[in-house]
Amino acid sequence: MVKPVALLGGKSALYSIIAIAIALALIPLVLGYNMYYVYLAAQVVLVTIMVLAWNIIGGYAGQLDLASSGYMALGGAVSGLLLAFYNVTPWLGMPLGALTAAGLAFLMGYPTFRFGVKEVWYALSTAALVVILQRVFWLIYGSTEIYMPIHRWSWYHLRFSRYEPLYYMLVVILLVTLWLNIRIKNSKLGYYLTAIGEDELAAEALGIDTRRYKLYALLIYASILGFVGGIYVNLTSIVSFRMFDPWLGIVVAVMGIIGGLGSIAGVFMAAVILRTLEEYLRSMFGATIPGIHLLIYGLLLIVVGVLKPEGFAGFLKYFRRRLARGGSGG
Amino acid sequence: MGSAILSVRNVTKRFGGLVAVNRMSMDVRSNEMLGLIGPNGAGKTTLFNCITGVYKPDEGRVFFEGREITGLPPHVVVKRGIARTWQKVRPFKKMTVLDAVTVGALLKIPSVESAKERAREVLEFVGFPKEKFARLGSEITLIEHKLVDLARALATGPKLLLLDEVAAGLRPHEMDTLAKVLLRIRDELGVTMVIVEHVMRFVMNLSERIIVMHEGVKIAEGTPKEVASDPRVIEAYLGTKPV
Ligand SMILES: Nc1ncnc2c1ncn2[C@@H]1O[C@H](COP(=O)(O)OP(=O)(O)OP(=O)(O)O)[C@@H](O)[C@H]1O
Ligand SMILES: [Mg+2]
Repeated sequence: MVKPVALLGGKSALYSIIAIAIALALIPLVLGYNMYYVYLAAQVVLVTIMVLAWNIIGGYAGQLDLASSGYMALGGAVSGLLLAFYNVTPWLGMPLGALTAAGLAFLMGYPTFRFGVKEVWYALSTAALVVILQRVFWLIYGSTEIYMPIHRWSWYHLRFSRYEPLYYMLVVILLVTLWLNIRIKNSKLGYYLTAIGEDELAAEALGIDTRRYKLYALLIYASILGFVGGIYVNLTSIVSFRMFDPWLGIVVAVMGIIGGLGSIAGVFMAAVILRTLEEYLRSMFGATIPGIHLLIYGLLLIVVGVLKPEGFAGFLKYFRRRLARGGSGG
Repeated sequence: MGSAILSVRNVTKRFGGLVAVNRMSMDVRSNEMLGLIGPNGAGKTTLFNCITGVYKPDEGRVFFEGREITGLPPHVVVKRGIARTWQKVRPFKKMTVLDAVTVGALLKIPSVESAKERAREVLEFVGFPKEKFARLGSEITLIEHKLVDLARALATGPKLLLLDEVAAGLRPHEMDTLAKVLLRIRDELGVTMVIVEHVMRFVMNLSERIIVMHEGVKIAEGTPKEVASDPRVIEAYLGTKPV
Protein backbone atom coordinates (compact mmCIF):
# COMPACT_ATOMS: atom_id res chain seq x y z
CA MET A 1 0.00 0.00 0.00
CA VAL A 2 1.06 3.53 -0.70
CA LYS A 3 1.26 5.87 2.21
CA PRO A 4 -1.34 8.66 2.15
CA VAL A 5 1.33 11.31 1.95
CA ALA A 6 2.74 9.68 -1.15
CA LEU A 7 -0.72 9.69 -2.72
CA LEU A 8 -0.89 13.41 -2.20
CA GLY A 9 2.29 13.80 -4.16
CA GLY A 10 4.80 14.26 -1.39
CA LYS A 11 4.90 16.14 1.85
CA SER A 12 5.12 19.62 0.35
CA ALA A 13 1.83 19.11 -1.51
CA LEU A 14 0.17 17.96 1.69
CA TYR A 15 1.49 20.98 3.56
CA SER A 16 0.32 23.37 0.90
CA ILE A 17 -3.16 21.83 0.99
CA ILE A 18 -3.26 22.21 4.75
CA ALA A 19 -2.03 25.79 4.48
CA ILE A 20 -4.67 26.62 1.89
CA ALA A 21 -7.36 24.96 4.00
CA ILE A 22 -6.47 26.99 7.07
CA ALA A 23 -6.26 30.25 5.13
CA LEU A 24 -9.61 29.67 3.47
CA ALA A 25 -11.20 28.62 6.76
CA LEU A 26 -10.16 31.89 8.38
CA ILE A 27 -11.44 34.21 5.66
CA PRO A 28 -15.10 34.43 6.82
CA LEU A 29 -13.90 35.14 10.35
CA VAL A 30 -12.09 38.16 8.99
CA LEU A 31 -14.67 39.26 6.43
CA GLY A 32 -17.76 38.03 8.23
CA TYR A 33 -18.83 41.49 9.34
CA ASN A 34 -19.88 42.08 5.74
CA MET A 35 -21.99 39.36 4.13
CA TYR A 36 -21.17 40.64 0.66
CA TYR A 37 -17.50 39.85 1.17
CA VAL A 38 -18.25 36.30 2.20
CA TYR A 39 -20.40 35.98 -0.90
CA LEU A 40 -17.49 37.23 -2.99
CA ALA A 41 -15.09 34.87 -1.29
CA ALA A 42 -17.47 32.02 -2.10
CA GLN A 43 -17.49 33.13 -5.74
CA VAL A 44 -13.71 33.16 -5.82
CA VAL A 45 -13.58 29.66 -4.36
CA LEU A 46 -16.18 28.50 -6.86
CA VAL A 47 -14.24 29.81 -9.84
CA THR A 48 -11.06 28.26 -8.43
CA ILE A 49 -12.85 24.92 -8.32
CA MET A 50 -13.89 25.40 -11.94
CA VAL A 51 -10.33 26.20 -12.99
CA LEU A 52 -8.91 23.25 -11.05
CA ALA A 53 -11.48 20.95 -12.65
CA TRP A 54 -10.63 22.45 -16.04
CA ASN A 55 -6.96 21.77 -15.37
CA ILE A 56 -7.63 18.05 -15.72
CA ILE A 57 -8.95 18.29 -19.28
CA GLY A 58 -7.26 21.53 -20.33
CA GLY A 59 -4.01 21.55 -18.41
CA TYR A 60 -3.10 17.89 -18.29
CA ALA A 61 -4.81 16.53 -21.39
CA GLY A 62 -4.31 19.74 -23.37
CA GLN A 63 -7.87 20.01 -24.69
CA LEU A 64 -9.04 23.61 -24.92
CA ASP A 65 -12.45 22.98 -23.40
CA LEU A 66 -14.69 26.03 -23.06
CA ALA A 67 -17.79 24.31 -21.70
CA SER A 68 -17.08 24.39 -17.96
CA SER A 69 -19.88 26.86 -17.30
CA GLY A 70 -22.25 24.67 -19.30
CA TYR A 71 -21.55 21.56 -17.25
CA MET A 72 -21.80 23.51 -14.01
CA ALA A 73 -25.06 25.17 -15.02
CA LEU A 74 -26.52 21.84 -16.13
CA GLY A 75 -25.68 20.24 -12.79
CA GLY A 76 -27.00 23.34 -11.03
CA ALA A 77 -30.23 23.25 -13.01
CA VAL A 78 -30.81 19.60 -12.18
CA SER A 79 -30.18 20.12 -8.47
CA GLY A 80 -31.95 23.49 -8.31
CA LEU A 81 -35.06 22.47 -10.22
CA LEU A 82 -35.42 19.30 -8.15
CA LEU A 83 -35.21 21.44 -5.03
CA ALA A 84 -37.56 24.18 -6.24
CA PHE A 85 -40.23 21.95 -7.79
CA TYR A 86 -40.02 18.66 -5.90
CA ASN A 87 -38.38 19.64 -2.62
CA VAL A 88 -35.56 17.17 -3.29
CA THR A 89 -32.51 17.80 -1.11
CA PRO A 90 -29.39 19.03 -2.94
CA TRP A 91 -27.51 16.26 -1.16
CA LEU A 92 -29.22 14.06 -3.72
CA GLY A 93 -29.50 16.75 -6.38
CA MET A 94 -25.76 17.38 -6.53
CA PRO A 95 -24.73 13.80 -7.31
CA LEU A 96 -27.55 13.67 -9.85
CA GLY A 97 -26.26 16.91 -11.33
CA ALA A 98 -22.79 15.40 -11.55
CA LEU A 99 -24.21 12.33 -13.24
CA THR A 100 -26.18 14.41 -15.74
CA ALA A 101 -23.16 16.55 -16.58
CA ALA A 102 -21.02 13.43 -16.99
CA GLY A 103 -23.69 11.92 -19.23
CA LEU A 104 -23.68 15.00 -21.42
CA ALA A 105 -19.87 15.02 -21.43
CA PHE A 106 -19.94 11.46 -22.68
CA LEU A 107 -22.40 12.31 -25.45
CA MET A 108 -20.20 15.25 -26.34
CA GLY A 109 -16.78 13.64 -25.93
CA TYR A 110 -17.36 10.26 -27.48
CA PRO A 111 -18.04 11.44 -31.04
CA THR A 112 -15.69 14.41 -30.72
CA PHE A 113 -12.72 12.24 -29.82
CA ARG A 114 -13.86 9.45 -32.11
CA PHE A 115 -13.67 11.75 -35.11
CA GLY A 116 -10.48 13.41 -33.97
CA VAL A 117 -11.88 16.91 -33.41
CA LYS A 118 -8.93 18.86 -32.05
CA GLU A 119 -7.55 22.23 -31.04
CA VAL A 120 -9.54 25.18 -32.37
CA TRP A 121 -12.31 22.92 -33.59
CA TYR A 122 -12.61 21.29 -30.21
CA ALA A 123 -12.69 24.70 -28.53
CA LEU A 124 -15.40 25.90 -30.88
CA SER A 125 -17.57 22.84 -30.44
CA THR A 126 -17.37 23.07 -26.66
CA ALA A 127 -18.20 26.78 -26.73
CA ALA A 128 -21.16 25.94 -28.93
CA LEU A 129 -22.31 23.37 -26.39
CA VAL A 130 -22.85 26.08 -23.77
CA VAL A 131 -24.85 28.18 -26.20
CA ILE A 132 -26.96 25.19 -27.21
CA LEU A 133 -27.64 24.30 -23.57
CA GLN A 134 -28.66 27.88 -22.92
CA ARG A 135 -31.07 27.83 -25.88
CA VAL A 136 -32.57 24.53 -24.81
CA PHE A 137 -33.10 25.77 -21.29
CA TRP A 138 -34.64 28.92 -22.65
CA LEU A 139 -37.02 26.96 -24.86
CA ILE A 140 -38.26 25.01 -21.83
CA TYR A 141 -38.33 27.64 -19.12
CA GLY A 142 -38.17 30.88 -21.07
CA SER A 143 -36.56 33.82 -19.37
CA THR A 144 -38.28 33.26 -16.03
CA GLU A 145 -36.03 33.04 -13.03
CA ILE A 146 -36.75 30.11 -10.78
CA TYR A 147 -36.10 30.93 -7.16
CA MET A 148 -34.81 28.51 -4.57
CA PRO A 149 -37.10 28.09 -1.55
CA ILE A 150 -36.44 30.38 1.38
CA HIS A 151 -35.34 28.81 4.64
CA ARG A 152 -33.56 30.51 7.49
CA TRP A 153 -31.26 27.61 8.28
CA SER A 154 -31.92 24.26 6.63
CA TRP A 155 -29.24 21.69 5.97
CA TYR A 156 -31.82 19.62 4.13
CA HIS A 157 -32.41 22.35 1.57
CA LEU A 158 -28.94 23.85 1.88
CA ARG A 159 -30.66 27.20 2.33
CA PHE A 160 -29.27 29.61 4.91
CA SER A 161 -29.66 33.22 5.90
CA ARG A 162 -25.86 33.58 5.83
CA TYR A 163 -23.28 32.56 3.24
CA GLU A 164 -20.81 30.81 5.53
CA PRO A 165 -22.22 27.25 5.29
CA LEU A 166 -22.12 27.28 1.48
CA TYR A 167 -18.72 28.94 1.57
CA TYR A 168 -17.32 26.15 3.73
CA MET A 169 -18.89 23.49 1.55
CA LEU A 170 -17.19 25.06 -1.44
CA VAL A 171 -13.89 25.10 0.44
CA VAL A 172 -14.23 21.38 1.08
CA ILE A 173 -14.97 20.73 -2.60
CA LEU A 174 -12.02 22.93 -3.54
CA LEU A 175 -9.70 20.90 -1.34
CA VAL A 176 -11.03 17.65 -2.74
CA THR A 177 -10.57 18.93 -6.29
CA LEU A 178 -7.07 20.08 -5.45
CA TRP A 179 -6.27 16.71 -3.93
CA LEU A 180 -7.70 14.99 -7.00
CA ASN A 181 -5.48 17.12 -9.25
CA ILE A 182 -2.37 16.15 -7.33
CA ARG A 183 -3.43 12.55 -7.10
CA ILE A 184 -4.02 12.38 -10.85
CA LYS A 185 -0.80 14.19 -11.67
CA ASN A 186 1.25 11.52 -9.92
CA SER A 187 -0.67 8.58 -11.28
CA LYS A 188 -0.58 6.64 -14.51
CA LEU A 189 -3.64 8.61 -15.61
CA GLY A 190 -1.73 11.86 -15.10
CA TYR A 191 1.31 10.68 -17.04
CA TYR A 192 -0.93 9.55 -19.87
CA LEU A 193 -2.96 12.75 -19.96
CA THR A 194 0.19 14.87 -19.89
CA ALA A 195 1.65 12.84 -22.75
CA ILE A 196 -1.57 13.35 -24.70
CA GLY A 197 -1.40 17.08 -24.01
CA GLU A 198 2.16 17.16 -25.31
CA ASP A 199 1.82 15.14 -28.49
CA GLU A 200 -1.13 12.91 -29.20
CA LEU A 201 0.49 10.84 -31.91
CA ALA A 202 3.63 10.19 -29.87
CA ALA A 203 1.40 9.28 -26.91
CA GLU A 204 -0.65 6.93 -29.05
CA ALA A 205 2.55 5.27 -30.32
CA LEU A 206 3.61 4.58 -26.73
CA GLY A 207 0.46 2.57 -26.18
CA ILE A 208 -1.96 5.19 -24.91
CA ASP A 209 -5.55 4.83 -26.03
CA THR A 210 -5.85 8.58 -26.44
CA ARG A 211 -9.59 8.59 -27.12
CA ARG A 212 -10.32 6.64 -23.98
CA TYR A 213 -8.05 8.71 -21.74
CA LYS A 214 -9.34 12.03 -23.05
CA LEU A 215 -12.83 10.78 -22.30
CA TYR A 216 -11.79 9.88 -18.73
CA ALA A 217 -10.45 13.40 -18.24
CA LEU A 218 -13.60 14.93 -19.67
CA LEU A 219 -15.85 12.84 -17.43
CA ILE A 220 -13.93 13.74 -14.27
CA TYR A 221 -14.00 17.42 -15.19
CA ALA A 222 -17.70 17.46 -16.02
CA SER A 223 -18.63 15.50 -12.88
CA ILE A 224 -16.91 17.97 -10.58
CA LEU A 225 -18.61 20.89 -12.30
CA GLY A 226 -22.00 19.19 -12.35
CA PHE A 227 -21.67 18.51 -8.66
CA VAL A 228 -20.64 22.00 -7.63
CA GLY A 229 -23.47 23.47 -9.72
CA GLY A 230 -25.90 22.54 -6.96
CA ILE A 231 -24.09 24.83 -4.55
CA TYR A 232 -23.80 27.55 -7.13
CA VAL A 233 -27.58 27.83 -7.56
CA ASN A 234 -28.06 27.94 -3.83
CA LEU A 235 -25.43 30.64 -3.56
CA THR A 236 -27.20 32.84 -6.11
CA SER A 237 -30.65 31.47 -5.16
CA ILE A 238 -31.67 31.48 -8.82
CA VAL A 239 -31.90 29.02 -11.67
CA SER A 240 -32.17 30.72 -15.04
CA PHE A 241 -30.94 30.49 -18.61
CA ARG A 242 -28.32 33.11 -17.74
CA MET A 243 -26.32 30.49 -15.80
CA PHE A 244 -25.33 28.91 -19.11
CA ASP A 245 -22.77 31.62 -19.63
CA PRO A 246 -20.41 31.05 -22.59
CA TRP A 247 -18.20 33.87 -21.39
CA LEU A 248 -17.58 32.20 -18.02
CA GLY A 249 -16.45 29.06 -19.84
CA ILE A 250 -13.87 31.12 -21.70
CA VAL A 251 -12.74 32.94 -18.55
CA VAL A 252 -12.15 29.63 -16.77
CA ALA A 253 -10.00 28.40 -19.65
CA VAL A 254 -8.10 31.69 -19.77
CA MET A 255 -7.43 31.48 -16.04
CA GLY A 256 -6.23 27.93 -16.46
CA ILE A 257 -3.89 28.97 -19.25
CA ILE A 258 -2.60 32.04 -17.44
CA GLY A 259 -2.16 29.86 -14.39
CA GLY A 260 0.25 27.71 -16.36
CA LEU A 261 -0.99 24.63 -18.09
CA GLY A 262 -0.91 21.62 -15.83
CA SER A 263 0.59 23.34 -12.83
CA ILE A 264 -1.53 23.20 -9.72
CA ALA A 265 -0.05 26.10 -7.77
CA GLY A 266 -0.19 28.34 -10.82
CA VAL A 267 -3.80 27.54 -11.54
CA PHE A 268 -4.77 28.19 -7.96
CA MET A 269 -2.99 31.53 -7.86
CA ALA A 270 -4.40 32.69 -11.17
CA ALA A 271 -7.97 31.93 -10.18
CA VAL A 272 -7.71 33.65 -6.84
CA ILE A 273 -5.90 36.73 -8.10
CA LEU A 274 -7.86 37.22 -11.29
CA ARG A 275 -11.26 36.63 -9.75
CA THR A 276 -10.53 38.93 -6.83
CA LEU A 277 -9.20 41.52 -9.21
CA GLU A 278 -12.29 41.18 -11.37
CA GLU A 279 -14.59 41.81 -8.44
CA TYR A 280 -12.48 44.73 -7.31
CA LEU A 281 -12.41 46.32 -10.76
CA ARG A 282 -16.11 45.72 -11.21
CA SER A 283 -16.97 47.39 -7.93
CA MET A 284 -14.58 50.29 -8.55
CA PHE A 285 -15.09 50.99 -12.25
CA GLY A 286 -18.05 48.79 -13.16
CA ALA A 287 -20.39 51.76 -13.52
CA THR A 288 -18.00 53.96 -15.46
CA ILE A 289 -16.02 51.44 -17.51
CA PRO A 290 -18.11 48.28 -17.84
CA GLY A 291 -16.18 45.22 -18.90
CA ILE A 292 -12.84 46.56 -17.72
CA HIS A 293 -12.00 43.16 -16.23
CA LEU A 294 -12.33 41.64 -19.68
CA LEU A 295 -9.78 44.11 -20.92
CA ILE A 296 -7.47 43.14 -18.08
CA TYR A 297 -7.84 39.44 -18.91
CA GLY A 298 -6.98 40.14 -22.50
CA LEU A 299 -3.93 42.18 -21.56
CA LEU A 300 -2.75 39.60 -19.05
CA LEU A 301 -3.09 36.86 -21.61
CA ILE A 302 -0.98 38.82 -24.07
CA VAL A 303 1.64 39.66 -21.44
CA VAL A 304 1.86 36.06 -20.27
CA GLY A 305 1.89 34.80 -23.82
CA VAL A 306 4.74 37.08 -24.79
CA LEU A 307 6.89 36.96 -21.69
CA LYS A 308 6.23 33.77 -19.81
CA PRO A 309 4.62 31.05 -21.84
CA GLU A 310 4.24 28.90 -18.76
CA GLY A 311 2.06 31.48 -17.06
CA PHE A 312 2.09 31.98 -13.32
CA ALA A 313 3.67 28.57 -12.96
CA GLY A 314 6.70 29.69 -14.90
CA PHE A 315 6.83 32.80 -12.80
CA LEU A 316 6.69 30.75 -9.59
CA LYS A 317 9.44 28.48 -10.82
CA TYR A 318 11.60 31.43 -11.78
CA PHE A 319 11.03 32.94 -8.37
CA ARG A 320 11.83 29.73 -6.56
CA ARG A 321 15.05 29.33 -8.53
CA ARG A 322 16.14 32.83 -7.64
CA LEU A 323 15.37 32.19 -4.00
CA ALA A 324 17.28 28.92 -4.07
CA ARG A 325 20.21 30.59 -5.75
CA GLY A 326 20.17 33.42 -3.23
CA GLY A 327 20.04 30.95 -0.35
CA SER A 328 22.88 28.72 -1.46
CA GLY A 329 24.96 31.47 -2.97
CA GLY A 330 26.17 32.86 0.40
CA MET B 1 15.57 -18.31 -35.57
CA GLY B 2 15.06 -17.05 -39.05
CA SER B 3 11.27 -17.16 -39.13
CA ALA B 4 9.44 -13.96 -40.05
CA ILE B 5 8.26 -11.91 -37.09
CA LEU B 6 6.80 -9.23 -39.37
CA SER B 7 5.38 -9.75 -42.84
CA VAL B 8 4.36 -6.92 -45.10
CA ARG B 9 2.30 -8.07 -48.07
CA ASN B 10 1.64 -5.87 -51.10
CA VAL B 11 1.12 -2.74 -49.06
CA THR B 12 0.14 0.36 -51.00
CA LYS B 13 -0.29 3.87 -49.62
CA ARG B 14 -1.34 6.80 -51.76
CA PHE B 15 -1.44 10.51 -51.04
CA GLY B 16 -3.78 11.89 -53.65
CA GLY B 17 -2.16 10.98 -56.95
CA LEU B 18 1.19 10.16 -55.37
CA VAL B 19 1.88 6.49 -54.64
CA ALA B 20 4.23 6.74 -51.64
CA VAL B 21 4.38 2.98 -51.06
CA ASN B 22 3.61 0.74 -54.00
CA ARG B 23 2.75 -2.96 -53.53
CA MET B 24 5.59 -3.30 -51.06
CA SER B 25 6.32 -6.69 -49.52
CA MET B 26 8.97 -7.65 -47.03
CA ASP B 27 9.73 -10.10 -44.25
CA VAL B 28 11.57 -9.23 -41.09
CA ARG B 29 13.22 -12.24 -39.51
CA SER B 30 13.20 -12.85 -35.82
CA ASN B 31 16.16 -11.24 -34.03
CA GLU B 32 17.70 -9.66 -37.10
CA MET B 33 18.74 -6.09 -37.75
CA LEU B 34 17.26 -5.33 -41.10
CA GLY B 35 18.48 -2.23 -42.89
CA LEU B 36 15.89 -0.33 -44.91
CA ILE B 37 17.45 2.24 -47.20
CA GLY B 38 16.49 4.34 -50.17
CA PRO B 39 16.79 7.89 -51.46
CA ASN B 40 14.69 10.74 -50.06
CA GLY B 41 11.00 10.22 -50.66
CA ALA B 42 11.42 6.49 -51.27
CA GLY B 43 8.54 5.73 -48.89
CA LYS B 44 10.44 4.34 -45.90
CA THR B 45 8.76 6.48 -43.28
CA THR B 46 5.38 5.97 -44.91
CA LEU B 47 5.91 2.22 -44.73
CA PHE B 48 6.68 2.53 -41.00
CA ASN B 49 3.51 4.54 -40.59
CA CYS B 50 1.51 1.84 -42.36
CA ILE B 51 2.95 -0.85 -40.10
CA THR B 52 2.43 1.05 -36.84
CA GLY B 53 -1.10 2.17 -37.63
CA VAL B 54 -0.40 5.86 -38.09
CA TYR B 55 -1.75 5.35 -41.62
CA LYS B 56 -4.12 2.69 -42.79
CA PRO B 57 -2.72 1.14 -45.97
CA ASP B 58 -4.93 1.56 -49.01
CA GLU B 59 -4.15 -1.99 -50.05
CA GLY B 60 -2.21 -4.93 -48.71
CA ARG B 61 -1.86 -6.55 -45.32
CA VAL B 62 0.57 -6.57 -42.42
CA PHE B 63 1.16 -9.56 -40.15
CA PHE B 64 3.00 -9.59 -36.86
CA GLU B 65 3.87 -12.93 -35.28
CA GLY B 66 1.43 -14.54 -37.65
CA ARG B 67 -1.54 -12.33 -36.68
CA GLU B 68 -2.91 -9.66 -38.93
CA ILE B 69 -2.40 -6.11 -37.66
CA THR B 70 -3.43 -4.19 -40.79
CA GLY B 71 -5.13 -0.93 -39.88
CA LEU B 72 -5.05 -1.40 -36.12
CA PRO B 73 -4.65 1.89 -34.21
CA PRO B 74 -1.09 2.70 -33.03
CA HIS B 75 -1.76 2.04 -29.34
CA VAL B 76 -2.89 -1.50 -30.15
CA VAL B 77 0.08 -2.13 -32.41
CA VAL B 78 2.51 -1.17 -29.60
CA LYS B 79 0.67 -3.44 -27.21
CA ARG B 80 1.26 -6.27 -29.69
CA GLY B 81 4.98 -5.47 -29.45
CA ILE B 82 6.00 -3.05 -32.21
CA ALA B 83 7.56 0.21 -31.04
CA ARG B 84 9.01 2.96 -33.22
CA THR B 85 11.04 6.13 -33.16
CA TRP B 86 10.34 9.24 -35.18
CA GLN B 87 12.41 10.76 -37.96
CA LYS B 88 10.92 14.15 -37.14
CA VAL B 89 11.26 14.22 -33.39
CA ARG B 90 8.12 14.41 -31.25
CA PRO B 91 9.49 15.39 -27.83
CA PHE B 92 7.42 15.78 -24.67
CA LYS B 93 8.74 19.27 -24.07
CA LYS B 94 7.23 20.02 -20.68
CA MET B 95 8.02 16.63 -19.17
CA THR B 96 11.36 15.62 -17.79
CA VAL B 97 13.37 13.08 -19.74
CA LEU B 98 12.71 10.53 -17.01
CA ASP B 99 8.96 11.16 -17.05
CA ALA B 100 8.81 10.90 -20.84
CA VAL B 101 10.44 7.48 -20.74
CA THR B 102 8.22 6.54 -17.79
CA VAL B 103 5.19 7.04 -20.07
CA GLY B 104 6.58 4.30 -22.29
CA ALA B 105 7.32 2.03 -19.34
CA LEU B 106 3.77 2.39 -18.02
CA LEU B 107 2.53 0.25 -20.88
CA LYS B 108 3.71 -2.91 -19.17
CA ILE B 109 4.18 -1.66 -15.61
CA PRO B 110 1.07 -0.09 -14.09
CA SER B 111 2.76 1.30 -10.96
CA VAL B 112 4.31 4.73 -11.52
CA GLU B 113 7.18 4.12 -9.10
CA SER B 114 8.20 0.85 -10.73
CA ALA B 115 7.76 2.32 -14.20
CA LYS B 116 10.08 5.17 -13.21
CA GLU B 117 12.62 2.66 -12.00
CA ARG B 118 12.36 0.86 -15.32
CA ALA B 119 12.71 4.15 -17.19
CA ARG B 120 15.93 4.86 -15.31
CA GLU B 121 17.32 1.47 -16.30
CA VAL B 122 16.40 1.94 -19.94
CA LEU B 123 17.90 5.44 -20.09
CA GLU B 124 21.11 4.13 -18.60
CA PHE B 125 21.04 1.21 -21.02
CA VAL B 126 20.91 3.49 -24.07
CA GLY B 127 23.65 5.61 -22.56
CA PHE B 128 21.73 8.78 -21.79
CA PRO B 129 23.76 10.88 -19.29
CA LYS B 130 22.39 10.40 -15.80
CA GLU B 131 22.75 14.04 -14.76
CA LYS B 132 20.27 15.02 -17.46
CA PHE B 133 17.40 12.72 -16.41
CA ALA B 134 15.66 15.65 -14.74
CA ARG B 135 15.98 17.98 -17.73
CA LEU B 136 12.81 19.01 -19.50
CA GLY B 137 12.24 17.89 -23.06
CA SER B 138 12.62 21.52 -24.09
CA GLU B 139 16.02 21.74 -22.43
CA ILE B 140 17.83 18.98 -24.30
CA THR B 141 19.37 18.99 -27.76
CA LEU B 142 17.86 17.35 -30.78
CA ILE B 143 20.54 14.69 -30.70
CA GLU B 144 19.86 13.98 -27.05
CA HIS B 145 16.20 13.71 -27.84
CA LYS B 146 16.90 11.01 -30.42
CA LEU B 147 18.27 8.94 -27.56
CA VAL B 148 15.27 9.72 -25.34
CA ASP B 149 13.00 8.74 -28.22
CA LEU B 150 14.81 5.43 -28.47
CA ALA B 151 14.55 4.90 -24.70
CA ARG B 152 10.85 5.85 -24.74
CA ALA B 153 10.14 3.24 -27.40
CA LEU B 154 12.33 0.65 -25.75
CA ALA B 155 10.62 1.18 -22.40
CA THR B 156 7.38 -0.19 -23.87
CA GLY B 157 9.13 -3.55 -23.94
CA PRO B 158 8.81 -4.24 -27.68
CA LYS B 159 9.70 -7.34 -29.64
CA LEU B 160 10.23 -5.32 -32.79
CA LEU B 161 11.71 -1.84 -32.96
CA LEU B 162 11.37 0.36 -36.03
CA LEU B 163 14.09 3.00 -36.03
CA ASP B 164 13.63 5.93 -38.38
CA GLU B 165 16.97 7.69 -38.81
CA VAL B 166 18.22 7.50 -35.21
CA ALA B 167 21.78 8.18 -36.30
CA ALA B 168 21.02 11.32 -38.30
CA GLY B 169 23.17 14.23 -37.18
CA LEU B 170 25.48 12.17 -34.97
CA ARG B 171 29.25 12.58 -35.07
CA PRO B 172 31.25 9.47 -36.08
CA HIS B 173 32.23 8.48 -32.53
CA GLU B 174 28.65 9.01 -31.31
CA MET B 175 27.49 6.79 -34.12
CA ASP B 176 29.83 4.04 -32.95
CA THR B 177 28.43 4.30 -29.45
CA LEU B 178 24.88 4.11 -30.79
CA ALA B 179 25.76 1.09 -32.92
CA LYS B 180 26.99 -0.69 -29.81
CA VAL B 181 23.77 0.18 -27.98
CA LEU B 182 21.66 -1.19 -30.82
CA LEU B 183 23.65 -4.42 -30.84
CA ARG B 184 23.10 -4.77 -27.10
CA ILE B 185 19.37 -4.14 -27.57
CA ARG B 186 19.25 -7.02 -29.99
CA ASP B 187 21.59 -9.41 -28.21
CA GLU B 188 20.70 -8.77 -24.58
CA LEU B 189 17.04 -7.83 -24.90
CA GLY B 190 16.28 -9.99 -27.92
CA VAL B 191 14.62 -7.16 -29.82
CA THR B 192 14.33 -7.41 -33.60
CA MET B 193 15.04 -4.18 -35.46
CA VAL B 194 14.38 -2.45 -38.74
CA ILE B 195 16.78 0.42 -39.25
CA VAL B 196 15.99 3.19 -41.70
CA GLU B 197 19.13 5.17 -42.28
CA HIS B 198 20.82 7.45 -44.77
CA VAL B 199 24.27 7.09 -43.26
CA MET B 200 25.48 4.16 -45.32
CA ARG B 201 28.48 3.26 -43.20
CA PHE B 202 26.17 2.92 -40.19
CA VAL B 203 23.61 0.53 -41.73
CA MET B 204 26.07 -1.37 -43.83
CA ASN B 205 28.09 -2.24 -40.73
CA LEU B 206 25.13 -3.12 -38.54
CA SER B 207 22.83 -5.04 -40.85
CA GLU B 208 23.48 -8.40 -42.29
CA ARG B 209 20.53 -7.88 -44.63
CA ILE B 210 19.36 -4.79 -46.46
CA ILE B 211 16.24 -3.84 -48.38
CA VAL B 212 16.36 -0.93 -50.80
CA MET B 213 13.27 1.09 -51.65
CA HIS B 214 12.88 3.59 -54.45
CA GLU B 215 9.72 5.50 -55.36
CA GLY B 216 7.61 3.26 -53.14
CA VAL B 217 8.90 0.01 -54.59
CA LYS B 218 11.40 -2.53 -53.31
CA ILE B 219 14.22 -2.56 -55.84
CA ALA B 220 16.80 -4.75 -54.11
CA GLU B 221 17.32 -7.07 -51.18
CA GLY B 222 20.42 -8.85 -49.94
CA THR B 223 23.66 -8.54 -48.02
CA PRO B 224 25.22 -5.09 -47.83
CA LYS B 225 27.75 -6.13 -50.44
CA GLU B 226 25.17 -7.49 -52.88
CA VAL B 227 23.01 -4.42 -52.50
CA ALA B 228 25.88 -1.97 -52.89
CA SER B 229 26.90 -3.48 -56.21
CA ASP B 230 23.34 -3.81 -57.56
CA PRO B 231 23.07 -1.63 -60.71
CA ARG B 232 19.45 -0.66 -59.92
CA VAL B 233 20.49 0.59 -56.51
CA ILE B 234 23.37 2.57 -57.91
CA GLU B 235 21.07 4.05 -60.50
CA ALA B 236 18.42 4.94 -57.95
CA TYR B 237 20.92 6.80 -55.84
CA LEU B 238 22.78 8.40 -58.74
CA GLY B 239 19.45 9.42 -60.24
CA THR B 240 18.67 11.58 -57.24
CA LYS B 241 21.98 12.42 -55.67
CA PRO B 242 25.49 10.98 -55.68
CA VAL B 243 26.35 8.69 -52.77
N1 LIG C 1 1.33 12.92 -45.05
C1 LIG C 1 1.72 13.00 -46.33
N2 LIG C 1 0.96 13.65 -47.23
C2 LIG C 1 1.34 13.74 -48.52
N3 LIG C 1 2.44 13.21 -49.02
C3 LIG C 1 3.25 12.53 -48.18
C4 LIG C 1 2.93 12.41 -46.79
N4 LIG C 1 3.89 11.69 -46.19
C5 LIG C 1 4.79 11.40 -47.15
N5 LIG C 1 4.40 11.89 -48.33
C6 LIG C 1 5.11 11.73 -49.62
O1 LIG C 1 5.31 10.36 -49.82
C7 LIG C 1 6.59 10.11 -50.38
C8 LIG C 1 7.33 9.17 -49.46
O2 LIG C 1 7.69 9.89 -48.29
P1 LIG C 1 8.45 9.23 -47.06
O3 LIG C 1 8.52 10.24 -46.01
O4 LIG C 1 7.79 7.95 -46.73
O5 LIG C 1 9.88 8.97 -47.68
P2 LIG C 1 11.18 8.53 -46.94
O6 LIG C 1 11.70 7.36 -47.67
O7 LIG C 1 10.97 8.37 -45.51
O8 LIG C 1 12.11 9.77 -47.24
P3 LIG C 1 13.24 10.45 -46.34
O9 LIG C 1 14.44 9.62 -46.50
O10 LIG C 1 13.41 11.80 -46.92
O11 LIG C 1 12.73 10.46 -44.94
C9 LIG C 1 7.25 11.46 -50.53
O12 LIG C 1 7.08 11.87 -51.87
C10 LIG C 1 6.51 12.35 -49.60
O13 LIG C 1 6.48 13.67 -50.06
MG1 LIG D 1 11.65 9.22 -43.83
